[in-house]
Amino acid sequence: MTQIQQPTTTGPGIERPAPSVRQLTFQWAGGPAIPVLSVVIALIIGAIFVLFSGNDPVAAYAALVQGAFGTPYDITETIVSAIPLVLTGLAVAIAFRTGLFNIGAQGQLLVGALAAGWAGSQFAELPGLVLMPIVILFGIGGGAVYGGIVGLLKAVRGVNEVITTIMLNYTIVFVMHWLLQAGPMTAKNAFGTPASTPIGAGARLPVIIPNELVLFSRLHAGVVLAAIAVVVFWFILWRTPLGYRLRAVGLGARAAAQAGIDPAHHMVLVMAIAGGFAGLGGMIEVSGVFGRVYDGFSSSYGFDAIAVALLGKNSPLGIVFAALLFGAFVHGGAYMQSHAGISSNLVAIIQAFVLFVIAAEALVRSLTRRRGRKPVEAIA
Amino acid sequence: MTWEMLLGASVAAATLRLAAPIALAALGGVVTERSGVTNIALEASMLVGAFFGIVAADRTRNIWIALGVALLAGILLATLHAYASITLRSDQIVSGMALNILALGLTTYLDYQMYGTTGTPADLPGLPDVQLGFLKGVPYIGEAIGSQNSMVWLMGLLVVALQLFLFRTVGGLRLRAVGEHPRAAETVGIDVRRIRYAAVLASGALAALGGAYLSLGVAHSFTDGMTGGRGFIGLAAMIFGRWTPVGALAASLVFGYGNALSTSLQGATLGDVRVPVQLLGTLPYVLTILAVAGFVGRSRPPAADGIPYETEGHA
Repeated sequence: MTQIQQPTTTGPGIERPAPSVRQLTFQWAGGPAIPVLSVVIALIIGAIFVLFSGNDPVAAYAALVQGAFGTPYDITETIVSAIPLVLTGLAVAIAFRTGLFNIGAQGQLLVGALAAGWAGSQFAELPGLVLMPIVILFGIGGGAVYGGIVGLLKAVRGVNEVITTIMLNYTIVFVMHWLLQAGPMTAKNAFGTPASTPIGAGARLPVIIPNELVLFSRLHAGVVLAAIAVVVFWFILWRTPLGYRLRAVGLGARAAAQAGIDPAHHMVLVMAIAGGFAGLGGMIEVSGVFGRVYDGFSSSYGFDAIAVALLGKNSPLGIVFAALLFGAFVHGGAYMQSHAGISSNLVAIIQAFVLFVIAAEALVRSLTRRRGRKPVEAIA
Repeated sequence: MTWEMLLGASVAAATLRLAAPIALAALGGVVTERSGVTNIALEASMLVGAFFGIVAADRTRNIWIALGVALLAGILLATLHAYASITLRSDQIVSGMALNILALGLTTYLDYQMYGTTGTPADLPGLPDVQLGFLKGVPYIGEAIGSQNSMVWLMGLLVVALQLFLFRTVGGLRLRAVGEHPRAAETVGIDVRRIRYAAVLASGALAALGGAYLSLGVAHSFTDGMTGGRGFIGLAAMIFGRWTPVGALAASLVFGYGNALSTSLQGATLGDVRVPVQLLGTLPYVLTILAVAGFVGRSRPPAADGIPYETEGHA
């Protein structure tokens, strides 16, 4: 098992050609069997946890489903919860496709939200036709810069992106505290939760479900932006030379380098694109849901996003389905907590086991079908 | 801003106090990565250690049983990672991330189920401080180390012990051989899997000590997500410290200092400008990025770090 260091970057833990879920996901393109099975296993394990804490798992899951899909309103709320997960899922997935692990979707989303919220309130008087594109660009741009830093540090200094993204996730939380509690973005008379000044009417994404259809629905035009982002994701990766090169780097940085593709350059680029997706997600939350930036308004999108991307096999449609599933968990989980008395954190446990089962892909494979062992060279 | 705020004895004491959990996680990182397994689930081991330590302290009212339970929890979590990454040869980063999410979800879930919204009991036993009476009158040093928690001293002992173990004993040589060239190690009769399992489990124990220190030693309570990324900072300290225990301690002290400053500089002014309290909170994280970016090019991880090993016989 000879390990050849890739020539273009230096540093720990990044360019080693380790066998990887990131690559193996391609082999799952055969069908949704493994993702579905991993969810089922995770749900069973979740049920065991509920049982052990002295509650009824059937009642818990019934409440979860009831909360997520019980009424037309709940269905639209589930979609509202799924939208940021689609965007952050894309942010994680496009990095995966290039062989990078983007744990920073959370931070990139927050920077996008802050940038969009700043622009939305700064130019609040502008008409929507002008303001909306500005706010979208600020959201995407903010996330792209924050993601790009990670790519740059990795390309230039060989810093493991796992470390940088996690540190940047924590950093932005404190910067956000400052901006919204005692900094330049703090609203003059915000009561309770610290928040930014509200964005202008032109920066608000309209609700697209009329009240006559679903009363008080919050389902906003962000769902259209999310759909466009999914198409863009597909188009970039599979219909442009850039996407071809990104995927080539992901499949094997060394081979790509041999073929004249500079992996370092593409690391910066893909992390900026990834940040752009997540930043758009932040912008959509601000423009579509809150109308301003609340301090600490999102806490777990980043981690959820990893589960979404892996469960969705880093493919456009897979991510949409996975995001809807986790969106249902998020929205239904709140109902489960208030009606069945079971902490909505059960959802996090289920998500963790989805991920763990996917990571332990060899185990799942041996459960689903017997397959000949690959030669050592293919793994090592 | 005054010198007292930057270098005072209380800052030194706080630096040690805040560096200890990071250093314990970093030691765990050194042990596991020297054996060739990346374990980003150190944060998870810390968190379950912190939580189950408190639960045990609440149930048994015995601090030593609590510490034992904390260790056990961290080891159990690390066992999952070891099984996934050594036996199943999974992607170690994904497995580690799954465990991080699991630990956060599990402890938050159980915290809610067991203690509701009121929080853990207020009268829990804590890990004792070590009072060095003879240092009482000594300026600076007396305040800096005269009354540190027992875990800080344990951390110091572990740094020395692990440094000696890794570089001065046969066992340490074997561990490093497995991390540098597992095939060669196996050829001379070393059981690669067994050593890797032992190393990952040990890393879980070390991280759990760090978590137990936070909950049982400092806070005497548990709050959701209380480890706050110290497991990850520990990994950065490990890289910064070039995969050696002593280096990891030195790096942890730098991060501990960043942490201490974020407290001691509260209310400080630079010229006429008040330093925003919230921004000081970013110090340890920004320091971590700068340190790793500045030093990573000059340090080299164990050659087989993060690469699953398959024995010849399986091919």
